[in-house]
Amino acid sequence: MMAKKFALTVHQNTQEDGDSLMALIQRCTLSLIFILFFGIICFASNSEIRIADPSGDWGFPTPYRHYPRGPGYIRMSMIFDTLIWKDTTGVIPALAESWSYEPETLSYLFTLRQGVKWHDGRPFTPADVVFTFQYIKEHAYNFVRLDSVASCEIEGEYQVRVKLREPYAPFLAYMATMPILPKHVWNKVSDPKKYVQPDSFIGTGPYTFVDFHKVKGTYLFEAFADYYQGRPKIDRLIYIKADDPLLALLTGKADLAQIEPNMVKILEKKGMTILRNQRGWNKKLMINHTKEPFSNKEFRHALAHAINRQEIIDKAHQGHGTVASDGLLSPDHEFYNPKTPSYEYNPAKARKILTSLGYTHGKDGFFTKDGKPLRVRLLASTVTTTDRDGEIIRHQLEQVGIAVDLQMQEKTAADTQIKAWDFDLAVSGHGGLLGDAVILNRMISPDTGSVNSARYAGSTKLLRLLKEQLHTTGKEKRRLILAEIQKIYAEELPALSLYYPESTAAYNPKKGISWYFTPGGIGTGIPICQNKAALLR
Amino acid sequence: MMLSSRRFTKKRISLLFAYSLSALLMIWLSYLLPSLLPGDFVTAMYSTSEDVTLTAAQESELRAYYSQDTGFAKYLIKLIRLDWGNSYAFLTPVSELFFDALPWTLLLLVSANILAALTGFIAGVEAAFRRNSRFERSLVSCGTIMEGLPEICTGVILLAVFSLYLGWFPAAGAETAYAELSFQEWLLDVGHHLTLPLASLVIAYFPGNFLLTRTSMIMVISQPYIKTAQAKGLSGLRIRYAHAARNALLPLVTRFGLRLAFTVTGAFVVERIHAYPGLGTLLFNAIRLRDLPVIQAIVLISSIMVLAMIMLLELVYASLDPRVQDAYQR
Repeated sequence: MMAKKFALTVHQNTQEDGDSLMALIQRCTLSLIFILFFGIICFASNSEIRIADPSGDWGFPTPYRHYPRGPGYIRMSMIFDTLIWKDTTGVIPALAESWSYEPETLSYLFTLRQGVKWHDGRPFTPADVVFTFQYIKEHAYNFVRLDSVASCEIEGEYQVRVKLREPYAPFLAYMATMPILPKHVWNKVSDPKKYVQPDSFIGTGPYTFVDFHKVKGTYLFEAFADYYQGRPKIDRLIYIKADDPLLALLTGKADLAQIEPNMVKILEKKGMTILRNQRGWNKKLMINHTKEPFSNKEFRHALAHAINRQEIIDKAHQGHGTVASDGLLSPDHEFYNPKTPSYEYNPAKARKILTSLGYTHGKDGFFTKDGKPLRVRLLASTVTTTDRDGEIIRHQLEQVGIAVDLQMQEKTAADTQIKAWDFDLAVSGHGGLLGDAVILNRMISPDTGSVNSARYAGSTKLLRLLKEQLHTTGKEKRRLILAEIQKIYAEELPALSLYYPESTAAYNPKKGISWYFTPGGIGTGIPICQNKAALLR
Repeated sequence: MMLSSRRFTKKRISLLFAYSLSALLMIWLSYLLPSLLPGDFVTAMYSTSEDVTLTAAQESELRAYYSQDTGFAKYLIKLIRLDWGNSYAFLTPVSELFFDALPWTLLLLVSANILAALTGFIAGVEAAFRRNSRFERSLVSCGTIMEGLPEICTGVILLAVFSLYLGWFPAAGAETAYAELSFQEWLLDVGHHLTLPLASLVIAYFPGNFLLTRTSMIMVISQPYIKTAQAKGLSGLRIRYAHAARNALLPLVTRFGLRLAFTVTGAFVVERIHAYPGLGTLLFNAIRLRDLPVIQAIVLISSIMVLAMIMLLELVYASLDPRVQDAYQR
């Protein structure tokens, strides 16, 4: 249309020579309108960020339907806000403006923000918070444990008081994780696991839900104009599935992705900003301490001395990683105990321990005891990416004189056996080592079902201390207990933390967002750099 | 005449019976085999999460929640009512997921098969008529080498060259996610995304088709009736395609049909490499999560498709080659 008009003007211009000035003005005006028109189009065009990951599908982004992993939680967190949140500065207000703890009454008083709207336009009220506590107590939301909460009541006009049964150290970490649900939606839902309706995506978060494609593994979120912290900077937030993050970033299909450390150089050259996280994820050797000979602490020590962890990092990961602490908690954690005992690589010492346990060197170089060869079954699977950790460990153990039967398996097949204690040694791994120290309970305690948990009941003192640390709110007191826990764990060595792989992400800085890894992780310790606070003005 | 036609129907009926029996067997296998996978949905979903660690009680509660297995008889009845059950991961009907993925796989596989069959056929016919020429020899050696290249290899090479270095084609997906495009732009976008996976498949399928056509053509060419046709002074094109090639078509059609029947598994590798949202990807994810109802449905449909395709081929043979019809009536 515009172009036609323009051509018409030009035509007129050549015909009427006398009125050339007039025509020129007309032409200029038209061009100006033309430029303005397209300028507005460009300006108004949606700003968007595309985030890639290899799996794509992490479930519906609602509290009860996202998959029980970090990426699922992160997608949900764009829609649902919590009472408090975390950024680079530590804990920050979210739906709660301020909060305080009263030790005499064992209660937290949250002062809520006013004028907050749900995505459907309804006002957010203290009743929603009280309802969320009740609802999650009734229908467990597995990212949050509310066992220690005795009650939650409205107090004053915009305040909520949460009473605890006993002092509970991880409480605030859980509050920075727990999504607040709209009462007017969920009070009619009796089976939240089955409930997926348009209104189940109503939250107070910076983004509203538009689409999730189950097979393509893509998500679309749009900025919530009435967000109480102001409309977020980016209009459309898109999650895509891409098997190769390097390709996705280089071809401009993605603006942010978790990458392998060896991709850093190429991406830096292309102008990408690289993020490196603290050490919060460990590759771990699970040891079946429920059976002989692994039930013997000395034997486990021998294993630790026999494994050269630096060699695994160098040979299988091109040097990208650091040897792990034997106390499970990351050296970057505020409660890390630098005096945790450690087991240096020392094959001679390993052999010595084995000899003292009654093993003798056979003719073939392998140990035997009572005429039986020392032979262990090592399970390995793809924990995050395919690697050669299992092969290297086998080689190292065989160097010492322990015959190894290495079995590479598909992940769930391996996990099923680890869970059923149907293994000798198994390569596994988990994160969470930067978040609240409650992770130690989850990864040591004998009553969890995680295959990454040592599930160790061999030390009553350790179990007692684990319980105690949860109920110790004084920071220094808790530090002392945690130091002792790390020490005992390292001495008992129910599982062997091998190394912390480098965790890196890359993003396109031209999009105007400065992403960051949240210190201590998002929520209870999710080591993903997609903090929604980075998207706010 | 009367007698032979009755015999003919009898043969057809017994054939139909055999096919239904094998269909039933396949339904049973597709029901049984996925459940033999080690591990289950709850283990795959929860066991390695550090954010969520379940207690034994929570775990058994979840296991009860996600168990839909009520025995083969009920499964069969549900199937007859076209109810494929619900996916564990999404708790939505499996059919919904299946039909979300199917169009993409069909687009990829059908176009790859047609392209590879056409090019392979024409190249095969032309090569056979130019036997011992440089053209034929180089094509045969190229084809033999290409036949040895697995899809995963060509797929990765194509990705590295055309996506990473040249940047001509996108690396993953079937379309730009949530791009606000007009219909024409969208078609272009889909074509753009389709190119690399399609090329990997065509490269994988072409040599087989080519070599097969060439070999059967060479046998046909030496037949006396081709000489007769030549003596009659018919045009080269007519002799090649109307007289000779028709008789060399049978093995190619078989191959084409069977390839189509393996639609689901056929594109598995290529779909994985290019993150193409088809049935292969759906099956892969379902196996990873031990989403049994989804695995069962896909295994069932693909095995039934193989069966149906074999049946269809048998019918097509008869019209392609009168000798097959004779075999029935004898």
